[in-house]
Amino acid sequence: MTALLEVQEVTKRFGGLTAVRNVTFSLQCGELTGILGPNGAGKTTLFNVLTGFMPPTSGTVLFNGEPIHRLAPYRVVNRGIARTFQLARPFAGMNLLENVVVPCLSPRAAADENKEERSRHLLAQVGLGGRELEPVETLPYGDLRRLEIARALATRPQLLLLDEAFAGLGSGEIEPVAQLIRRLHQEENLTILLIEHKLREFMALVSRVIAMNFGDVIAIGKPQEIIKDPKVVEAYIGAAEDEHASA
Amino acid sequence: MLQILIYGAVSSAIYAMLAVGFTLIFGVARILNLAHGSFYALGAYSAFTMTSLLGLPLLVAAPLSVLVVALFGVAMERFLVRPLRQSQLAVLMITLAVSLAVEQALFLIFGSEYRNVPSFIAEKIAIGGVDISGQRLLALTVGVAVLLMLWLIIQRTRLGAAILAVSQDPEAAQYMGIPTNRIFSIVMAISAGTAALAGILVSPFLTVQPSMGLLPMVKAFAIVIVGGLGSIPGSIIAALILGYSETAVAYLASTAWTELVSLVAVVATLMIRPSGIFGRRAAF
Amino acid sequence: MQRIPWIDLLGGLLVLGILALVPMFATSNYLTGVLTVCAIYGIWASSWDFMSGLTGRENFGHALFIGSGAYTAGFMATAWYLNPWYSLPAAVVVAVLFSLIVGFPTLRLRGPYFALAMLSASAIMQRLCLIYWEYTGGEEGLYGLDPIIRSPLYYYWFVLAILAVTVLNVTLLAHAHWGLLLRAIRGDEATCQAAGINVTFYKIASLMISAAFTGLGGALYAHYQLQVSPPLFSVVVSITVIIMAYVGGVGSIYGAAIAAILLTLLTEMLRGFGEYRLWVYTLTLMLILFFLPGGLVAPTWRRLTARLR
Repeated sequence: MTALLEVQEVTKRFGGLTAVRNVTFSLQCGELTGILGPNGAGKTTLFNVLTGFMPPTSGTVLFNGEPIHRLAPYRVVNRGIARTFQLARPFAGMNLLENVVVPCLSPRAAADENKEERSRHLLAQVGLGGRELEPVETLPYGDLRRLEIARALATRPQLLLLDEAFAGLGSGEIEPVAQLIRRLHQEENLTILLIEHKLREFMALVSRVIAMNFGDVIAIGKPQEIIKDPKVVEAYIGAAEDEHASA
Repeated sequence: MLQILIYGAVSSAIYAMLAVGFTLIFGVARILNLAHGSFYALGAYSAFTMTSLLGLPLLVAAPLSVLVVALFGVAMERFLVRPLRQSQLAVLMITLAVSLAVEQALFLIFGSEYRNVPSFIAEKIAIGGVDISGQRLLALTVGVAVLLMLWLIIQRTRLGAAILAVSQDPEAAQYMGIPTNRIFSIVMAISAGTAALAGILVSPFLTVQPSMGLLPMVKAFAIVIVGGLGSIPGSIIAALILGYSETAVAYLASTAWTELVSLVAVVATLMIRPSGIFGRRAAF
Repeated sequence: MQRIPWIDLLGGLLVLGILALVPMFATSNYLTGVLTVCAIYGIWASSWDFMSGLTGRENFGHALFIGSGAYTAGFMATAWYLNPWYSLPAAVVVAVLFSLIVGFPTLRLRGPYFALAMLSASAIMQRLCLIYWEYTGGEEGLYGLDPIIRSPLYYYWFVLAILAVTVLNVTLLAHAHWGLLLRAIRGDEATCQAAGINVTFYKIASLMISAAFTGLGGALYAHYQLQVSPPLFSVVVSITVIIMAYVGGVGSIYGAAIAAILLTLLTEMLRGFGEYRLWVYTLTLMLILFFLPGGLVAPTWRRLTARLR
């Protein structure tokens, strides 16, 4: 069975700085995989390369067997990869419904007849039902993250990339979002790749972990194995202490 | 052939002076100054006023005009542009408005007839069998000298280092104690001053009328796009390319086609390598 | 997607009605002529507002489309002696072509390239008209065009109808999903890309639509003045249109049209000021940028009719 996503030796250099080096992994359909790594490990840069926001300095990315690493971002989306951003960027001056209608207008979602209907459904799915006409500026941060997910879903993706879905969420808000992700994975048959910092929630969610540090992939495996991997432990001694401080 | 070489050099030097000022203020302050052509025109008209109407000798009028226009540029930046800095579009609009206001003011004050500014050097000089007016040679020399001075200032002085810092990251520069706003004013003064100087130097052999700033502006745009927005070496090289191409075309084909040279250069750049020769990364 | 508020439609019909009836009470054709120009500026300003007002990619060379439309009409009349009605579709085609030539390389780039290119293009065209004077008539331009409709009143009503069609068309687009996308592009292009939208396509298409109506207006103007000359490409014309959109309220479209009519009337009334008019315009623009960035017409109308929405 061909992998859904194949990342082959992807490297991204910015002048003298190598943000991502020879990253290689693949995702099968239906997986819920996570990328783990401290700040500066190159996770978001990797996402940017996977979604066409940056071309790789070298290496290839195959999606459903086809190379996508030289495509413009909107084309990557229309092939079936959607992403959320670490810093939520809603469309200012519009309400929630309009924010979700925009991605419904992409060619991939063009078959849906009634965009407004579909948008309402998506908003309900992420837990923002009934609030369609609220201006997006008044949204609290946690809800903005949900909106991001709704917008990503609007493009009918096969693969969903979530960049720090739990970032900035209070302890009460994390579990509902984790539930949402689990539900989307099972009900919508989505393949999900997520970047996350918060170890506890992360480990409970994913079935496979790709650990990165300083641009390299240092380990790939099941959560229980990764936790015990010496290289990962070494990279995370600092992160573990942060977890203790903030938990 | 030698004619092309020399006249091309003159054109390139003038274009370079114009383009460098334009790209400098963009590279440092992110201001796309559509009023740059006005500085050029104001320089010429100021020299005209001082020599013809006030009877000052050219040697006094010229530096004085440069100063006046530089101050005008600083005032424009301080009072009209700085309050609108958050929106690049508002800055474009306000500088465009200024350029129109200046053109109209010049028209109202001086009328639309072509004016005369005396030459520094009235005689023709022969170089290798080619007659060239002393004024054009002067323009070339001064242009090269000014560009060299600018390069020296930026590379060798503390002011230059400060300018480089601000162009890379104004906020960070401010945290390091660099007075960003003052740097903006200084760069604006340099930008306006060089444009004015270009205007003064060419006015004896080009026409002086209220809308004289428009076409040089379009040329400056073309040069800056080809060379890369914000890059001084890019502007200089692009100025050379354009200056020589135009001169060659004028001699080998006809003068009517020179306008199309910059057009073709811009279209080619935008289609092939939009960021220009040196792109936006290398600010200097 | 959004419904046009009924009060706006009513207001529009009222304005249209008044504009149509006014010249019938005038004693000379002078007023009809002025109102014809007002309406044409309305076409130009509202189509500018549709593209630049909604996307935020300001077009500083709208005169390019005006001039190319007008000169197309001029050439068809003086060089090929064609029936003046043919210049209308021809002008549309030529203007759209120009929009593609300038828009295609520049709208896909970030940065000020589009603004610079439009400004330069119209300036270059103006210059080319002067350089190739044997074909274009140089400074004096082309003259001797025939009017499309001989009666000034009927021609005025024709132009008014086209203004109505233009404003209605672009307003409907602006309220539909198209307009939503344009506003999203204005907000954040990268996020639009992430939403799977081909941002460049929509920008270029909007420019083409804007150019189409503007070129049409250019031809209408040519057949009103019965001559065309290089100043039609000038920066002054471009900035006049921009001022009208700003006074009207950028992005409102109907605001631009109304402001265009009012400002053109004002210009006529200020004829006594002669050369100072442009100064007044430029100062107006500066004042609006500093103190009334939301414009005058649209905010005032919205406030007056707030109860009825």
